[in-house]
Amino acid sequence: MASISLTQIEMPASPRTLKLVRRERLLVGAHILTAFFALMIGIFMGPFQTFHRSPTFVQYFPTIPVFSYYYQAVTAHGVMNALFFTTFFIIGFMYFVTERSLQRPLRFQQAAWVAYASMFVGLVTMLAVLLLEPQRSAVLYTFYPPMIAPAPFYLGLVLLVLGSWIASAILFFTYRDWKREHPNERVPLAVFIMLVTFIMWDVATIGVAIEILFMLLPASLGLLRTVDPQLGRTLFWFFGHPLVYFWLLPAYVSWYTMLPKQAGGRLFSEPLARVAFIMFLLFSVPVGVHHQFSDPGISASSKGLQAFLTLVVSIPSFMTAFNVGAALESAGRNNGAKGLIDWVWKQRWSDPVVAAQLFGMLNFIAGGFSGIINASSQLNATVHNTSWVPAHFHQTLGSAVTLTYISVLYWMLPAIRGRALFSKRMAVWQAATWFIGMTLFGLAMGEAGLNGAPRRSITGTAPYVTEPMRFWLDVTAVSGVILLISSILLYVNIFGTLFLSRQPAPEGEVPITTKSGDTTSPLWFERWGIWLGVLALLLLMAYGPVFAETLDFQSGWNIQRYVPSSNAPMP
Amino acid sequence: MELNRIERYWLLAVTSVLGAFAAATIVAVAFFGIRLPSPVDRIDPRNLEQTEFARPGIRQLAGNRYEAYIIAKSWAFEAGPGLGTPPTLRFPVGSEVTFYVTSIDVMHGFQIEGHTANLELVPGQIARTTVRFNRPGKYSIICNHYCGAGHHVMYATVQVE
Ligand code: HEM
Ligand SMILES: [Cu+2]
Ligand SMILES: [Cu+2]
Repeated sequence: MASISLTQIEMPASPRTLKLVRRERLLVGAHILTAFFALMIGIFMGPFQTFHRSPTFVQYFPTIPVFSYYYQAVTAHGVMNALFFTTFFIIGFMYFVTERSLQRPLRFQQAAWVAYASMFVGLVTMLAVLLLEPQRSAVLYTFYPPMIAPAPFYLGLVLLVLGSWIASAILFFTYRDWKREHPNERVPLAVFIMLVTFIMWDVATIGVAIEILFMLLPASLGLLRTVDPQLGRTLFWFFGHPLVYFWLLPAYVSWYTMLPKQAGGRLFSEPLARVAFIMFLLFSVPVGVHHQFSDPGISASSKGLQAFLTLVVSIPSFMTAFNVGAALESAGRNNGAKGLIDWVWKQRWSDPVVAAQLFGMLNFIAGGFSGIINASSQLNATVHNTSWVPAHFHQTLGSAVTLTYISVLYWMLPAIRGRALFSKRMAVWQAATWFIGMTLFGLAMGEAGLNGAPRRSITGTAPYVTEPMRFWLDVTAVSGVILLISSILLYVNIFGTLFLSRQPAPEGEVPITTKSGDTTSPLWFERWGIWLGVLALLLLMAYGPVFAETLDFQSGWNIQRYVPSSNAPMP
Repeated sequence: MELNRIERYWLLAVTSVLGAFAAATIVAVAFFGIRLPSPVDRIDPRNLEQTEFARPGIRQLAGNRYEAYIIAKSWAFEAGPGLGTPPTLRFPVGSEVTFYVTSIDVMHGFQIEGHTANLELVPGQIARTTVRFNRPGKYSIICNHYCGAGHHVMYATVQVE
């Protein structure tokens, strides 16, 4: 039955046309626009956070009118940007890439709308609780127990994850159908990366789902009166580290499979790319404990093992750097570069789609190296929980990933709307100011952190701020101004394209590959059962001892619940 | 599977650099005694009477060695009577102090400005770190883990003289 109805589903004239059929515009469009709606709410908190954190700014403007409760703003910023924006965007983008690359509609069209509805209700629930209960819901996007938020906070997250699970099932089934018809072909690289992304996501979310369903939600509803914070943190970071690769890999889809063509070059090596992504799949989950190097309840040996695996997971990133670098070199040479390094700037900087990704990559280089510093377990002790940490992930997530998603928006939004981008020049300036702002932000927050400034704190009025901290926190506020301008440019362009643009969308091509260019990698790379088995073994090795240490129902699980606004335990 | 020659060199270079990192880590642990925090003990925050935390404060051991028992709670550090609010802990230059810290409510943090001391205080667990104070001066102990509405005012001071 399903196959009969599938044949009636409208498909675009060619997999590479920028003209979307109505079905695509609705489904993909709904995801992308909702993502950028969530980002809009999250992003505008950012600059005001830098103002709140700057002693000099607070001295002259003691009351900052927007989002005056700081911890509410940081919670909204983290939850909207890191969880809702990314998840909506990734699912919409991956639906598009999968349908186009495999030249078949998603299996279960209606289920895709069910998934969307679940996530959307989750978004509304979350926004409602953040707005109506600003004090009690200020538990930040990591929501560590024993701090407990009102139940709708967790419900919003459950609905988001539930929707993402449905979406991943749809994508897996679509791929399985394709594979049955093409048993001896390699799936296009973009879909290969998509599969890795969602397998990893499904495994990782098990941790946070257990944490929410068996600890936080019952505690919030009063069914449980005590919790185990050490176990909660461990479950959270089981999810929290693969989460960063969930954000990153869809950006890699663009870097590996789209940017080479957008920039006018070609991808250097596809088989090696597949090896890199299998490594991401295997090694991005059993490393979550590197976020817990300072935790008292986990032994040094468990930490050491995961510190080692963390170094392993940086190998595929270096492989990516090489591959993407080589693609860009070929693009630069095609643009007339002759010297050893002039290909670096002989790129299509006037095309916002290319420029946004290149600027993001520049930030990513700084972010990657600061990441290795975080990962080295001893150096970690000097930067842990200081503003060095947000400095690091704004180079990676806040810039490289976000600018790449924005670059996708710059070509996809016109296709969704059927109108040309409101202003290409504004888009290039947006990417450039974002790069400048994030570079300064990283420098200033990083230096403030090395001088001891903690993260997640109203350092604008904190009593322990020293002169060097003060200086760098003030510089951060300057970067906040630049980033505020950049954010405004982004949204003027989005609303301009949606409501003001009169030009028809340009005829053009999307760099989609329908046939894998790779003919030498072994076909068993796509035997996902093998990888799941290896992953299970690695998890058992890396996490078995950790859970054995933390699970203790005799003398653990006895901590009372608290709300963030009071120092008395919940009744 | 075909691999390009340059690609192979790159892979080799990357793996050896990371191998060196891993080796450096092992050397640091094995020969320089640099240690990550590891479990001390669990504790029941509602039942401190039988523990050292019933009397938080500084204990002098032999010579220049000290132990300090500190309770973190929203939104202050408690280090015993007579130290002021927020408390100031005084140590002579050259002291080696082992801090035992526990939180009796939510997650807190413990970071000593200018020194390599950085602990997550997970309620129900005891955290420990040893610090040498070689330079005279005033250093803040900062709660660097978000702990609710008063997080940014939660601190104490170490006076090294
Ligand atoms: C306009 C640009 C932005 C500015 C000025 C900005 C500023 C900040 C600041 C100052 C903090 C630290 C708050 C604190 O530790 O007290 C922060 C945290 C954070 N930001 Fe941004 N940000 C921006 C964009 C983004 C983007 C695009 C993302 C992700 C897509 C993002 C994700 C996060 C996350 C996850 C946190 C951590 C929140 C927490 O500690 O709970 N930010 N941001
Ligand atoms: Cu605290
Ligand atoms: Cu705190």
